[in-house]
Amino acid sequence: MTEALGRVVATERRPNTPHEFHFWTAIDSPVGIGTIVRVDGAQPIEGQIPHIYGIVVEGFSYTDLQSPMHDVLGHDGSPTAAGFASTERAEIRLYTAAVLRQIPEEPLQPVPMGQVFLAEEADVQVALRMDSYLREGANTGIPIGVYRAGGTDAVIYLDADFLLGPEAAHLNITGVSGLATKTSAVEWLLGSLFKHFPDEKGSIAAVCFNVKGPDLCYLDQPGRIEKTDEALYEKMGVEPKPFESVEYFAPYTAKGLTLNTFRNNEALLDNVTPLTWGLREVLQYAEVLLNKDDIDAKADALIDFITENIVDREFSDPLLSKTHRVQSFADLDAWFRDVLQGMEKKDGESWRTHHVATIRKVRNRLSNISTRCAGLVTDSGNVSDLPFGSFADRTVYVVDVANLEEDAQDLIFARIVSKLREHLERRDLGVKHLVVFVDELNKYAPGDGPDTYVRKMLLDIAERGRYLGLVLFGAQQFRSQVHRRVVGNSGTGLFGRMDPDELSTPGYAVLSPATRTKLATLEKGQLMIRHPHFTQPIFVRFPRPSVMQGREGSERYPQSSEVSLEAAVLRALRPLDSTITLPWVQEITALYSPEEVIRARNATLLARPENVKGYFASQFRKIIPAQAAPRPMVGSIKSVPENDPYGF
Amino acid sequence: MLVSNSGPDAASRAALRSLMERLPGMSAVEGGSIEPAMSSDPPLLRSAKIVEGSSLRVVKVPDFTRRTVSGFGAFLDGTQQVRLVAHHFGMPVVFGTVAAGVRIRVNRRLITWGHEPPRVERKIYLPLRYLPPLAEIRDANREVARGSWEIVDTSTADKDGEYPSQHPAVLQERATRAVDRERDRVEDALAEAWCARAEAPLFIDGGISRSERVASSSCAVGVIKSHRTLYFDGTEVGKVLGLKKGERTSVFRVSPRSRNAVLSWYLRLRDEAGHDPMWGLVRIEVAESDRPTERADEISRWVMAESTPLSLPDGRWDKMAYGVRDCEEFLRAIS
Repeated sequence: MTEALGRVVATERRPNTPHEFHFWTAIDSPVGIGTIVRVDGAQPIEGQIPHIYGIVVEGFSYTDLQSPMHDVLGHDGSPTAAGFASTERAEIRLYTAAVLRQIPEEPLQPVPMGQVFLAEEADVQVALRMDSYLREGANTGIPIGVYRAGGTDAVIYLDADFLLGPEAAHLNITGVSGLATKTSAVEWLLGSLFKHFPDEKGSIAAVCFNVKGPDLCYLDQPGRIEKTDEALYEKMGVEPKPFESVEYFAPYTAKGLTLNTFRNNEALLDNVTPLTWGLREVLQYAEVLLNKDDIDAKADALIDFITENIVDREFSDPLLSKTHRVQSFADLDAWFRDVLQGMEKKDGESWRTHHVATIRKVRNRLSNISTRCAGLVTDSGNVSDLPFGSFADRTVYVVDVANLEEDAQDLIFARIVSKLREHLERRDLGVKHLVVFVDELNKYAPGDGPDTYVRKMLLDIAERGRYLGLVLFGAQQFRSQVHRRVVGNSGTGLFGRMDPDELSTPGYAVLSPATRTKLATLEKGQLMIRHPHFTQPIFVRFPRPSVMQGREGSERYPQSSEVSLEAAVLRALRPLDSTITLPWVQEITALYSPEEVIRARNATLLARPENVKGYFASQFRKIIPAQAAPRPMVGSIKSVPENDPYGF
Repeated sequence: MLVSNSGPDAASRAALRSLMERLPGMSAVEGGSIEPAMSSDPPLLRSAKIVEGSSLRVVKVPDFTRRTVSGFGAFLDGTQQVRLVAHHFGMPVVFGTVAAGVRIRVNRRLITWGHEPPRVERKIYLPLRYLPPLAEIRDANREVARGSWEIVDTSTADKDGEYPSQHPAVLQERATRAVDRERDRVEDALAEAWCARAEAPLFIDGGISRSERVASSSCAVGVIKSHRTLYFDGTEVGKVLGLKKGERTSVFRVSPRSRNAVLSWYLRLRDEAGHDPMWGLVRIEVAESDRPTERADEISRWVMAESTPLSLPDGRWDKMAYGVRDCEEFLRAIS
C-alpha cells in the first residue's frame, strides 16, 4: 500500500461537502491542480469503509505570517537578508478537491476525515467510472491520453458509445490557434478510434473538411515521433504510423488546370480526386448560395420549376425556338436566353406565371454561381464526387476547401453533409459510423448572426446525428462564439491552451480559478477532457500525431504552381497511364480549345478507363486536317521566235 | 511556555460528566481559565558572581552579521492549560494539561524530533480532603483514568504537615503550581533525553538549572524571556537594562539554592528605544565552561541569528525565537 500524502481537514468556515473536500499535504508532495486522489474514510458506513475519489481543483499556500509587514520588519526591509534566516516559516499546502466518485454511492454523505492517497491506475479507472466500459464484455474504451501525476501513468479512455452514439455523441475541441492542439488532437484521436473502435460496433470512417492551411493534407505521410511520444503510443496500444487509407478531394482552380489544394504536388496526386459538380448537384443546394434577398417566393417557385421540369429533361414550349435538354450551366443559360427572347418577341411580361423580372433575376443569380464557384461547378455537367455508397471502413476522406471562396466552401459543406446524412438514413453509405470533422465552427455555426443553411445543418447533426451514426467532431478557437446547441450537444469536450479572454466568458465559470489558470498555460500535447462519465474535467497528455505536419509537408511537397494546359493534362492522366508523355498530349490537344481539352480530361478522370489514351482521344470531335488544293493543269507556253519583235 | 485558555475538549467533557455523576451538587463553570502562578511571584533582585572579568561589563557581541548561521539544531518548549471546570460547594475542580516537545531543524524547516515523541499529559486536580468520601471518588478515579485522566490531590499536607485552608483561591493556586511542576517535569524529561544523545545544541525556552543532567550538558542552552528575578543591583542593574541591541553583559554564575549552578548573561536582541527596558532582553543559561567569553559570544550570535523570522503575532515576539513559537503552535495543535 502506498504512503498517504495528505489528510482531509474541515473547519466550520470551510466544511467538506458531498461534492468537495479539503486536504493538506507535505510541501514536497507531487500534488497539483488536476491530480486525482483517493480518500480512505476511517469509519465504515453500513459495514463498508468509504472510498472517495477526487480531483484537485484549487490550491492554497500560506504561512503563519499575520501581515506582510511582519516579514519586512523581521528582515529590516532587505529581501536578501531574508534568505539568511536560520528557519523557514511554517508553511501549508492546502488543496480543494472536487469529488469524482464516492463508494459506496449511497448514502451520499459529506467527505469524511481520512488519509489522502495518490490515485493509482486502478483508482483512476474507478474514479472516472471507466471501469463500467473497460470491463470484460463492454470493451468500448477509446484511449484519448495519459493522465500523469506523481508516479502514476494511467490511460484515460472515452466510451465509444458516448463518443459516437447512440448514448451521447459528438466532440468539440477548443484552443488557441498555432499550438498544435486542435488538429493534432483530432488526428491522434482518429488514429486511436480506428484502432480501438470495437469490430462488433460496425465500420467507421471519417470525413474531414480542411478549411485552412495544409495540416490535414499529409495524413498518409509518416511524421516525426519523439521517444516520449512512442512511449505514449505503446501505453495506449496504438501504432505510431500514418493512416493507411486516405482519400483526398479538391475542386480545380478557377482556370480549371490544377487542383485547388495544398496537396497538388505531383508525387501525392495518386489519391487526390477532383471534386466537380454539375447543375443538378448545385441546384439542389441553391439555398446555400442565394441569400434571402435573392430568393423570394417567386424566385423559389421558378427554381423549383427549373429543377422539376427543365433539368435533365426534354423540354419544349411554343415560346421556345427549339427543344432544350438542360444538363449544364451552359445549357441552362441557353434555355434562359431562348425564353427571354421568346418573351421579347411576343412582348409578353410573363411566361407560365413567371414574371420576366423574376426570370431575369434567377438567370442572373444562377449564372453567377458557376463564376463564384469556378473550379467546383462545371458547365459541362461532369460530376466527380465522394464515393457515397461505397465508403470504406477505417478510411479518412479529406475534402480540401482551404483555398476556396466562402460560397464554394458553404456549398461543398452543405451538399456533402446532406448526402452523407441521406445515405446514413438509408443505411447505404458503406460504413455504419461516420465522423465529420469541421474546424472553425465559430464561422460555420456562430452563436449570433444570420441563420444560414450551413448552421441549420450543423444544428441538425448535433441534435439528431447520433441516431444515424453521423458524429460531429467540431473545433474552434472560441467556444463561446459557437451556437450553444452545437456545443451543448457535444457529449465530449476537449480543451487545449485557452485564451484568457475566452476563459473569462460565462461558459467557463464552472471551472475553478486554478483550473482556468492551468488551461491558460497548458503545454503542447496537453488537454483537458470533459466526458459524460467524468464528473469533473481531467487533464491528459496525448502524443504528437504520427502523420506529417502541415508545415513539414508543404516544405517537402511544395504546392505546384499554375502550369500550362498540356502539362496539367499530363499531370492528371499520368497517374492513370504512366506511358503518357507531354508530346503526346500536345499532339492530341493541338487543334482543340482549352474548354474541350479540360472537358476531355475530366471525363477521362471520371471514367478511369483501361485504355486511357484511347478514351481521352475519343472525347474530341473529329477534325479533318486541311489539305493543300491540287495545282490546275497549265498549258505549255509556246516558245517565242527569237526574231519576233512583238513577242513577250 | 504557553498558557492556553481554550475551552474544554471532548475528552475533558467526558471526564467532567463522569465526575458530576459521582459528585452530586457539583456545578460546572464556563470559561474558568486560571492565570499562571508565576505571574503572582514577586519581582526580585539577586546578586550573582561574575566569572568573566572582575566586574559587570557591557560587551558588544563580536562578528555578528546577517549571514551568521545559528548552531542550534532543535528547540524545546512546553505548554500548559489550566482550567477551573467546576466546583463542589465552592471547592475547585481544576483540569490541567501539560505538553512538551522538541522540534528539530532540517533544511531550515522544523519537524518533530523522532527519537522522543512529544508528551501530552492531562490530570484532574481535586481537594480530596474537602470533597465527599474518598471511596466514591476512587471509583470515579478508576473510570476517569481509563480516559487517560489522573486525579491529583491538591489538599495534601505540606512538608510541615499542615493542610491548606479550604479557601478556594488557595486550592486553586495549589492546583496551578502542581500543573507548573508537571510541565517542568515533562520538559526536563525531554531535555535530558536530548542531552543524552547530544546530537546538536538545543534551544530551551526557559532555564536549564532544574535538571542536573541538563545543567551540565554542553548542548543545552536556556533562553529566559521573563525577568521577575533580575540579577545584580545598584548601578549594575542600570548596565543590564541599558544594554543596546547586540550587546551582552559579562558572564556570571547563577546558583539557586535548590537548583544547579549554571553560567548566565544578559543579551539585548532588539533596539529598546520607545519600549520598556525589558524589550528584547533575554538571559541565557549554559553549562559551566572553561572559556566563558568565547562560549558567551558564540551562543549570543546564535541566539541573535534566531531573532528572524519574527514570532509575530505572539505578544512576546521581541524575545521569542521563531523555533520556540513553532514548538508552541505544534503543542497547541496536539494538546
